[in-house]
Amino acid sequence: MVAKTSADVVIVGTGVVGVVIAEQLLDAGHSVLMIEAGPRVTRAEVVENWRNAPLSVKGDTSVAYPPRPWAPHPTGAEKPEDAYLQLRGPDSYGQTFIRYAGGSTWHWAGTSWRMTPEDMRLNSLYGVGRDWAFDYDTLEPYYVRTENKLGICGPADPAQQWPARRSAPYPMPELPFSPGEVRFTEIAKTLGYNNIPVTQARNSGIPYDGRPACCANNNCVPVCPVAAKYDAETALNRLEKKGATILVDSVVYQVETNAQNKIEAVSYFDQHKQSHRISGKLFVLACNGLENPKLLLMSKNDRNPNGVANSSDQVGRNMMDHPQLTLTVTTKEPFWSGVGPVVNSGIMETSQGDFRSQHAGAYFRYNNFARNRFVTFAALKKGLVGKALDAEIRRMTACTADIVAAHEVLPDANNRLTLSEKTDWLGLPKPSIYYDVGDYTRRSAEVYSLPIAKRIAEAMGAIDVKISPKFNQSKHIMGGTIMGNDAATSVVDADCRAHDHENLFIPGGGAMASTACGNSTITMVALAIKAGDAIVSQMRGA
Amino acid sequence: MNSQPQDPTHRFTLSRRSLLRGSASILAAGIVAALCPTLSLAAIDGDIRTKFMQLSNLLINHELSPAVGGRIVETAERQYKNLPDMLDAIIKVAQSRNAIVVEDFFADIPDGELKDFAHWVIASWYSGCSSDKRDAIVFTYEEALTFKTTSDVITIPSYGISGPNLWTRPTVPLSAPMPRF
Amino acid sequence: MKFIQSLAVIAPLALAPTLMPAVVSAQEYSKGLIDKGRYLATASDCVACHTNHAGGKPMAGGLAMASPVGTIVSTNITPSKAFGIGNYSEPEFADAVRKGVRADGANLYPAMPYVSYAVMSDDDIHALYAYFMQGVEPVDEKAPDTSLPFPMNIRASMMGWNMLFRPSGPLADDPKQSAEWNRGRYLAEGAAHCSTCHTPRGALMQEQKSRHLSGGQVGAWYAPDITNDKVHGIGSWSQEDLVTYLKTGRLDHRAQAAGSMAEAISYSFQHLTEADLNAIATYVRSVPSSDPTAVSSMTRFDRGEADNNLSGFRGKGFAAGIKGDHSGAQIFTANCASCHGFNAQGTTDGYYPSLFHNAATAGDNSVNLISAILNGVDRHTQDGHVFMPPFGDEANAVVSLDNVQVASLANYILRDYGNIKLTVNPEDVQVVRDGGPRSNIVTLARIGIAAGAVVLVAVLLLVGLLVRGRRKVADLKST
Repeated sequence: MVAKTSADVVIVGTGVVGVVIAEQLLDAGHSVLMIEAGPRVTRAEVVENWRNAPLSVKGDTSVAYPPRPWAPHPTGAEKPEDAYLQLRGPDSYGQTFIRYAGGSTWHWAGTSWRMTPEDMRLNSLYGVGRDWAFDYDTLEPYYVRTENKLGICGPADPAQQWPARRSAPYPMPELPFSPGEVRFTEIAKTLGYNNIPVTQARNSGIPYDGRPACCANNNCVPVCPVAAKYDAETALNRLEKKGATILVDSVVYQVETNAQNKIEAVSYFDQHKQSHRISGKLFVLACNGLENPKLLLMSKNDRNPNGVANSSDQVGRNMMDHPQLTLTVTTKEPFWSGVGPVVNSGIMETSQGDFRSQHAGAYFRYNNFARNRFVTFAALKKGLVGKALDAEIRRMTACTADIVAAHEVLPDANNRLTLSEKTDWLGLPKPSIYYDVGDYTRRSAEVYSLPIAKRIAEAMGAIDVKISPKFNQSKHIMGGTIMGNDAATSVVDADCRAHDHENLFIPGGGAMASTACGNSTITMVALAIKAGDAIVSQMRGA
Repeated sequence: MNSQPQDPTHRFTLSRRSLLRGSASILAAGIVAALCPTLSLAAIDGDIRTKFMQLSNLLINHELSPAVGGRIVETAERQYKNLPDMLDAIIKVAQSRNAIVVEDFFADIPDGELKDFAHWVIASWYSGCSSDKRDAIVFTYEEALTFKTTSDVITIPSYGISGPNLWTRPTVPLSAPMPRF
Repeated sequence: MKFIQSLAVIAPLALAPTLMPAVVSAQEYSKGLIDKGRYLATASDCVACHTNHAGGKPMAGGLAMASPVGTIVSTNITPSKAFGIGNYSEPEFADAVRKGVRADGANLYPAMPYVSYAVMSDDDIHALYAYFMQGVEPVDEKAPDTSLPFPMNIRASMMGWNMLFRPSGPLADDPKQSAEWNRGRYLAEGAAHCSTCHTPRGALMQEQKSRHLSGGQVGAWYAPDITNDKVHGIGSWSQEDLVTYLKTGRLDHRAQAAGSMAEAISYSFQHLTEADLNAIATYVRSVPSSDPTAVSSMTRFDRGEADNNLSGFRGKGFAAGIKGDHSGAQIFTANCASCHGFNAQGTTDGYYPSLFHNAATAGDNSVNLISAILNGVDRHTQDGHVFMPPFGDEANAVVSLDNVQVASLANYILRDYGNIKLTVNPEDVQVVRDGGPRSNIVTLARIGIAAGAVVLVAVLLLVGLLVRGRRKVADLKST
């Protein structure tokens, strides 16, 4: 069999952005070659990896996805001196992402919030951050296509929708709440808040796209055993049947430009450290907001001394996420988290308001993970036995819950990914990230989100509340290759085309000009589809 | 007892074969121990397993899978050099109190090595692991007892609980009976 | 792909098709008649085969069905004049349905179960005709042609087969039986054509009447014994059980419909009246086995129990679990247990069935178990869409299991939850993956033809030699 070394379109990365664009281009008649740094594994193996992990580490999603030496990603087990991400700054940019075929949607919760019109105009409305290069109504049809592509469920009642401004219904209805969420919704109402169903990429009540419906096995993170939750792995077979070539265990380390400063080829190392070169007419980097800038910086050459696509010096800058604080609440009355999917409802309205000229908004979600693994050792450590032990485990499982406040963050050029001195197994530089969530977000915790969260905990009848001492990241990687109309201050244009190279597209989280508070995935996919349309037009014109 | 809800997997946790095998050996050991309380039974493998199950059943008054017990005792043998003696000692405490349930004798287990070991046995069955550390040995996941305490409401994560969108259920009060397991 | 199992050939006789004049009734049929026809079409399940379920329009044909002799594509039976049956007269329609003869005189393949529909009454044919002419949307799209390998492609070869195996006409009511039983027989043997799948076939692929409803292969699936035998059939089922099964596609802790039967439930049985379902049940439950079981023993509905082999591999790593003695159990836990339970006990609401007390794992053969694993289950019911994903080579397979893995998994399930007497080899899996056992009838027919041709040539040669010889003698004599 002759190995393919070129295609019309070369896509680096097989996560949700990569597979959606790949399918769009295949359907338009183009040849597609995809290059994935990590391995292709079966769902069976991932599920069993997780089941085989000790109870106390099941919260570390990376136990289900041991990285390959040539494609490191952060793990909970890594020793500090071996860490892949070199983190600096007052706040940790610790991440979890998966360098496997299928990418990080293997382990996402499936939460699929859209941006609101206001989320995309922070600068015009509130004098902070950046405006997007286009408005919500321009992006809206791409959200509809995303929702139908991934299979996203949500409520039909506009009062429960976020936002209600939509041109098409959800393909599937919302999923039922757990007892804890029913109770949480009642409590939120007493405080004047709406706890609404999360829009999520999960098959609700019916099979969709040849995948079964959710059966509430409450395992979405780290993996859906039945593929009721959308993840990009489910697209891979279909892409191959449509003619895509997918190379795995192939780490792209260089993007090559030619004399016209167009992209000519990419080079990758295989698992035996042999280098290979893939050429194409058009290139898409789909490794999201951390690996994309790392690759662009590694690719610097004489024509592009700051890195490919980096005449703006914005590549690697503006690293963003959703800093979160968790309240672990013990209640007197049972709530019972853990029936249904792991993230199923939340309060979104608190992310909007004029206060955004002063501080960040926040979204409050009721984490619906089953609590047994969180409480078992604590109960055992109390020295209980027999009936008392049974009762205590049951009580703690029923009466503890995590409420998470997720904040927005402003793009800051100092929050920056650079190439560190340390190298990985292939000899490629490990990324270094300096991160400071910023006063805008810290002020929110101080005067806004934590006070609200504490009121919620009190209304829940909490007898104990533990609050995270520091912000953790939500693992929603954004920024890094930011979008804008001005090539001097942005990396990509409104179609996620690199300003510097007309045949290079970088859609995904890296392009997002603002974070809002809701998870970034469907905005990434909407951008991917928009880029895909632009690529199809461009290839037609070419 | 009849008002207690059944653990949905309870009836089906043990195959008839393994239950019979387990019970028979427990019964046999019990009879021998009762007749010859001072006889020191040699620490051969099958005997250790039997004793371990006997101790486990004394410490945990639920149906325990001999297959899972076999996995735990594998590690116990490696981790505790004087395992046979500890088993004998704790069983002796239980017998001296004519214990039917763990509450009858647990306080009388001497503090220190024996008490710690008893807690370790209980923790192994409830958590399914040898410790709460990252390098813990996993004996079982699905059959860890922690999940059985809440099986009327909560699934074992990665196992489905109902047909599509059919998982709505009431908020069960704490006063409701513990599932039977 | 839909799987059917009928085809036959006797001798290839070429026959020029004769064109029948198109005489179409222009009359308007009453709504009542059309509705009656719609109901009968539902009972006959026309839509299941005559629709391409991957986005095709109802009754417009185009469904490719794998048969033991090749692929047969269903035809457009909408009233389209260009591409459907819009020009059919009622007698032509009747002949197609009951005799397997098209309006142009060509024979239909018995993939179309005309041998069953042969019993339908003139009144019912009339109603069906009204429905197909005026109750179905015409679709002006050509369905692809069927082209089977030689000699099956010669439709006239069906003539001899029909002479041997096609029934002559309607059944007379049995006066000793109730009206309900007679109605049940009329539906079961006619519209519902149960024996098309549930009766084993002979060498010429005809239904073996002597073993009526005793079970038959249907492509990748097996339609089990539904006689009233208490062990091998459904003799242990009550009337209500069978009606429940036909209405919902499942009977708790006993059986569920997949493959073609799932379609039959979805498109046909679940829409029939309570009275008709009871009639069918009354009749079917009266059909005896030709080989009744003398000694009572476990049925395929009550074998197995909850169990697991987790301690063999839990906590030891997936790679270790996949190798060696526990691979079947490991594959089960990794792929099946999330829905079917780690003890194979299913969910308490029964939506995901247990795999013990389940005919799928305890039948007299392992075909349905293998097929369910490879093809999944897809059934639209009043209660919702029942769906088990496939684990074969499909684009939407959750995991693609190879033959060795499927065999290992099947053997674990059979041993722990099902019919412990059965074993599955990777080769067995490949047969199901290929769509079921191939018939060697094409090869035999070709050999037969070749042999016949050889014999014919030999005979002609011999005759030629003899004739020449006699002439020589005659010449000699005349000199």
